[in-house]
Amino acid sequence: MPAIWLSIAAASLLAQTPQLAPVKFSDTRLPNGLRVLISEDHSAPVFSIAVSYNAGSRDERAGRTGFAHLFEHMMFKGSENVGQGEHPFLVFNNGGNMNGTTNADRTLYFETLPKNQLDLALFLEADRMRSLAITKENLDNQRSAVQEERRLRVDNAPYGKSFLAVSELAYDNFAYKHSVIGSMEDLNAATVDDVREFFRIYYAPNNAAVAIVGDVQPGEVLAKVKKYFGGIPSQPAPKAVDLAEPEQTSERRMVIEDKQARLPQVQVAYKIGRGAEKETAALEMLSRILGGGESSRLYQRLVKEKETAVQAASFIQTKVGPGLFQIVAFPRAGKPAEETVGEIGEEIARLHSATVTAEELRRARAMTRRIAVSSRESSLSLAVQLADNAVLFNDPGRINSEYQKLMSVTEQDIQNAVKKYLRSSNRSVIVTMPAGGAAPARKK
Amino acid sequence: MKLAFILCAGMALAQQPGQVEGQQQESLKGVVKLNRAPVSKEVLRVNLPKPVERKLRNGLRVVIVEDHRLPTVAMQMVLPASALRDPADLPGLASATASSLRYGAGKRSSREIAESLTEMGATLNVTANYGARSTVLGASALTESLDAVRALVADVLLRPSFPQEELDKAQKRILTQLQQARGSEQFLTEELLHKVLYAGDGRAIVAPTPDAIRKITREHMVAFHAANYKPAGALLGITGDVKPAEMIAKLEKAFEGWTGGPVEEAKAAARTPIGEKRVYLVNRPNSVQTRLTLANHAVDRAHPDYFALQVMNRILGGGPSGRLFMNLREAKGYTYGASSSIANEDFRHHFSAAASVRTEVTEAALEEFLKEFRAIRDQVVGTEDLENAKRALVANFALSLENRPAVLSRLLSLREKNLPLDYWDTYAARVMAVTAADVQRVAKRYVPVDNLQLFAVGDATKIRAVLAKFGVVEEYNADGARQ
Repeated sequence: MPAIWLSIAAASLLAQTPQLAPVKFSDTRLPNGLRVLISEDHSAPVFSIAVSYNAGSRDERAGRTGFAHLFEHMMFKGSENVGQGEHPFLVFNNGGNMNGTTNADRTLYFETLPKNQLDLALFLEADRMRSLAITKENLDNQRSAVQEERRLRVDNAPYGKSFLAVSELAYDNFAYKHSVIGSMEDLNAATVDDVREFFRIYYAPNNAAVAIVGDVQPGEVLAKVKKYFGGIPSQPAPKAVDLAEPEQTSERRMVIEDKQARLPQVQVAYKIGRGAEKETAALEMLSRILGGGESSRLYQRLVKEKETAVQAASFIQTKVGPGLFQIVAFPRAGKPAEETVGEIGEEIARLHSATVTAEELRRARAMTRRIAVSSRESSLSLAVQLADNAVLFNDPGRINSEYQKLMSVTEQDIQNAVKKYLRSSNRSVIVTMPAGGAAPARKK
Repeated sequence: MKLAFILCAGMALAQQPGQVEGQQQESLKGVVKLNRAPVSKEVLRVNLPKPVERKLRNGLRVVIVEDHRLPTVAMQMVLPASALRDPADLPGLASATASSLRYGAGKRSSREIAESLTEMGATLNVTANYGARSTVLGASALTESLDAVRALVADVLLRPSFPQEELDKAQKRILTQLQQARGSEQFLTEELLHKVLYAGDGRAIVAPTPDAIRKITREHMVAFHAANYKPAGALLGITGDVKPAEMIAKLEKAFEGWTGGPVEEAKAAARTPIGEKRVYLVNRPNSVQTRLTLANHAVDRAHPDYFALQVMNRILGGGPSGRLFMNLREAKGYTYGASSSIANEDFRHHFSAAASVRTEVTEAALEEFLKEFRAIRDQVVGTEDLENAKRALVANFALSLENRPAVLSRLLSLREKNLPLDYWDTYAARVMAVTAADVQRVAKRYVPVDNLQLFAVGDATKIRAVLAKFGVVEEYNADGARQ
């Protein structure tokens, strides 16, 4: 197709795209390397702060799986000027909410508070970045909490192990292959020295971004950020982890017997490119067309027309390195799981033989616009996006540019990405079967 | 994923602003207070926005909160089609009717409805919760598609076609989903807890039986819809990027011809705490944790004890620094989270405390729950704990202003439940008026020890004997059958 036609098509598309007012923010780097993003929004008397550290489970070594997340728990146990448990105590008692979360690429901490508690939030985040209290007692205690978290979400939950199995099967490189929650054995092996070392290497201002969004005055916030964070020394930049994946040459299959599941589950995953690649945007749009809600191809075919499944959806896991395009379906009771696997395969084959329709793409764009608008509804969501985009992609402006990127994806872009990544030799299929006591009891 | 702190899900979610907090001297063991962090002593007082209120010609009350921050609009319609109106042999009728509205309406097929919603960047859900006063239609739209969404909502509400083929398919899906749900320890807990606490009426139900699902016909739904989806007495709340006058005019037009009502309100008598201690076990073989829930009846928003109960709950287990969390997770390491709550649904108002603990510590965890229960009943809470809890509840109110649909829900719930319209304006003062003696009084009344209703979901072979130490055990299997 001639390039000139494409560019005209893209221009006319952008002209039709309903605009979304860009999120305005300031972007400052302190001398110690800390990136500071500030955005004011006076619609409610609150603010949110998000601190994103460029450290996740990909930074763990063999024998220490689950460590980045275990470390996240340690961050609530006190620092030089904040007593053990005082951080949550102060946030909640002053009307706030807070939490932390870890994924493969980063660890994020956040608070939302009434606007008069800005100093409190900055003090708490700065104190733990500067001087985390690392003790054996705190470590043992949080080890137990994390092990119970694993039991709750994985070992005692239907399909819990299947969820972890996707990455284990699809990836070859240890960085993304192992789970964020880690193994019980590795959690037991973590030592105080591990905590100290992880803190020194990764929890430095030059390896983090802090975003403050809400009912604040930017000049005042920046002055306070400098006051609280400015004196924290930077550290040598951590060594970048090799995230490269060897090319997958044949389909992978796994069957999991699950003692808590009552019915089978089917998961299909394709390894895709880096988050910043143009194909990733195309595949994100495809995930809406193929399995984003009731109007999607998979739902209409598997759930409504063929009645093979009761639920079918597709979504994308965007990462700094290679991500995943995933499909999850629950076969209807009495229908073999293989039938669902087959139907999914046929839908993927259809994507290879013909482009998606203009109508489908229009719907995916409307969904994209809706998602973008919704993601701006709270100060917390904005703060998290700014901090995460800064840390993961070195581009906080992605909060605005990603929308345009998604909206300009074409039918052909999607098919090109399908041909590149959604190949059967690049897919992993996991079927979960009920086992043990979980299957419905037979009538006596 | 992987949050360090999580409130125990499956417990009443309709809680007061936010979550958490409060300690008494002896349960401060998990917290070391250095008091060096700068804290503003001022508690930000905020008021909910004043809505525009109108009544349409057909009697539908409309409540509008303008907010032009973003190009979106959210709506919530509260209809008198309560699940409590389900005939005794057809539990699930209100729920099935609500979810079937999207399967066809006017000239639109189910597929066309789904596709239009996506194309408009809109959502539409109609839900009749079990035990609830109403059926709630929730919709949201981008401003540019508001007219089209309003037309779709009118079709779905006024002109559902209940296509037989779609109903047959939905029935098969629901039967599968009911089986799926039985894998969840949370579902198993909720099912038995409601069956015990609300024995004898519609509040006891959390999901229909497969038999009932098979019995519900298209004719049942058509009749239920005709009798209960009436405008007079119903409420419509709208928030977002709208102009009230214009919206009212358009609503009059969209709902032209829709008349009738008011429908008689669904009612369910308040329950008083069950007097006798009972232990219920659901056998979920191969579980590695036991889901423990300790419960009994409490009171609703209109009751004089309500505010003291909120403060008491905040101190005991209202979140990640409540006593239960500090003890069972932070001090003992038995669980990922322990908390308590007061169910705040229309007609369900029980107190419950819960945690999922590893099987081996089931007994020890139960003892810690009871220890905390006794402590809050037997000892007066300290001034600092009390003030912390009250401040937490009041200060957290500011956060709720960010979420306009939640603000709208609050405004609607006052009107639906006939509470004073200044309820939220006086909320802070009423919380601040609670005393330590009030806290102890409501703890003694509603935190169950001698009349504990205990629910445990786990591997019976490993916990049956342990539970027997706490009372006579009544056992069920994961299919809900008494053993």
